[in-house]
Amino acid sequence: MPLGTLDRTPPPFFRQGPSALSKLTVCTALALFLMVADTRFGVTQPLRAVIADFLYPVQWLVLQPVNWVRGSAVYFQSLQSASAGAEQMRITMAQQSLKANQVDQLMLENTRLRQLLELRARINASTRAAQILYDAADPFSRKVIIDRGQVHGIVAGSPVIDGYGVLGQVTRVFGAISEVTLITDGDQAIPVLNTRTGVRGVAFGDLSNPVGGMELRFTPADTDVQAGDVLSTSGVDGVYPAGLAVARVDKVERRSESVFARIALSPLAQVRGTMHVMVLQPVGSQIEARPVEPSATSVPAAAPSTPKR
Amino acid sequence: MIMRQGQQLLLPANPFFIWVTLLGAFMLSMLQNIGFWGRAAWVPDLLALVLVFWSVHQPLRVGIGAAFVLGLCMDVHQGGLLGANAMAYTVLSFFAITIHRRLLWFSVPSQALQVLPLFVASLLIGLGAKMLAGGTFPGWSMMLAPVLQAALWPLASVILLVPQRRAPDPDLNRPL
Repeated sequence: MPLGTLDRTPPPFFRQGPSALSKLTVCTALALFLMVADTRFGVTQPLRAVIADFLYPVQWLVLQPVNWVRGSAVYFQSLQSASAGAEQMRITMAQQSLKANQVDQLMLENTRLRQLLELRARINASTRAAQILYDAADPFSRKVIIDRGQVHGIVAGSPVIDGYGVLGQVTRVFGAISEVTLITDGDQAIPVLNTRTGVRGVAFGDLSNPVGGMELRFTPADTDVQAGDVLSTSGVDGVYPAGLAVARVDKVERRSESVFARIALSPLAQVRGTMHVMVLQPVGSQIEARPVEPSATSVPAAAPSTPKR
Repeated sequence: MIMRQGQQLLLPANPFFIWVTLLGAFMLSMLQNIGFWGRAAWVPDLLALVLVFWSVHQPLRVGIGAAFVLGLCMDVHQGGLLGANAMAYTVLSFFAITIHRRLLWFSVPSQALQVLPLFVASLLIGLGAKMLAGGTFPGWSMMLAPVLQAALWPLASVILLVPQRRAPDPDLNRPL
């Protein structure tokens, strides 16, 4: 279309282009195809990545005034509250350093015991600090955007934690940003372990809770679960390292008509307010490949040799 | 062209201005998300508003194809189901083009009332698509969004028509 004003050219007689209805049909069909491809086949990630790379400069531009306002709000904070905050931090750090010393001691002990018992060494995930930029705008899911992406070596599937517990999992990686699905999202599941009893289960985001809670599904009604129990990652999934705090049991509801108990959890991570997070490497990438079964290797090797005999 | 009574003669629309306002509305939508309200469901979709406005006023410039592409960009920014906003905007733009000859005969508040069903329809399309794909229901506050968009229609028709209402022959008394 030329950039001149339309009113100065006579309307075309023959080539009037497709009608609005046909355009609507084509675009709607294309949108439907994209939706199905996105949900059922998951093949739209390249297209999404290309559009996201084009959008990134715009998002960056919009983010700048927001960052200035946030920065100036911190700058004009009173000296008193700043020093009080620093004091609080120092106390917390002292408490944590005590704990850290104990943990070091225990780790040493653990390593020796494991050597003694010839167990496999614990997996230590490497970490990468990141900052949450903003909540993803889609009100139908619970996701946040962090400021680390493919260029920083983030891979999809990495667990994300904050200072209090597991926050979520990286679900999409773009050039300079990535998308983290929070553990309160309805589609997000995380295998957990009750630290009091050792019972394993799977915690899901709660669909019905608009604030953002979680629930422990598929737990038989006679399982020992009490309000106040702390759940941590069990480490059986090959994604999350074992022993990260996930949630606390809020309410246990046992009903006669169901064989499963209804267990409401509240996540320990600050899913609504946190700014700084750590991205861990998925545990699965560090576990050695499963040893190939001898019969599986010998059969294809033996098969071509049999006709020669 | 038949003109309605009392209609102001407007200067031709500058295509550059049209695209700048569409981009600006997109950026304002982003700013609402990033800076103010996060993923709140009641936030008015300014891009949809400006898109309907230009589909009504300049249907030869801004049409269904543009709406589809902008919807895709919105989907990627929101991080939701790819194609849901694209479909909603496509339908929105189609109905806007369908009513564009009739709508401008009415007063501006009446126009706002008549674009409200369009916004509701586009919201319901997005809702249906995302719920079918397994999303969480964001709460009834989302029904506020189309009402707010329709309420902003008079403001949009003042701001977006300003360049076209300038005097064709600026002089000292009418500098713009």
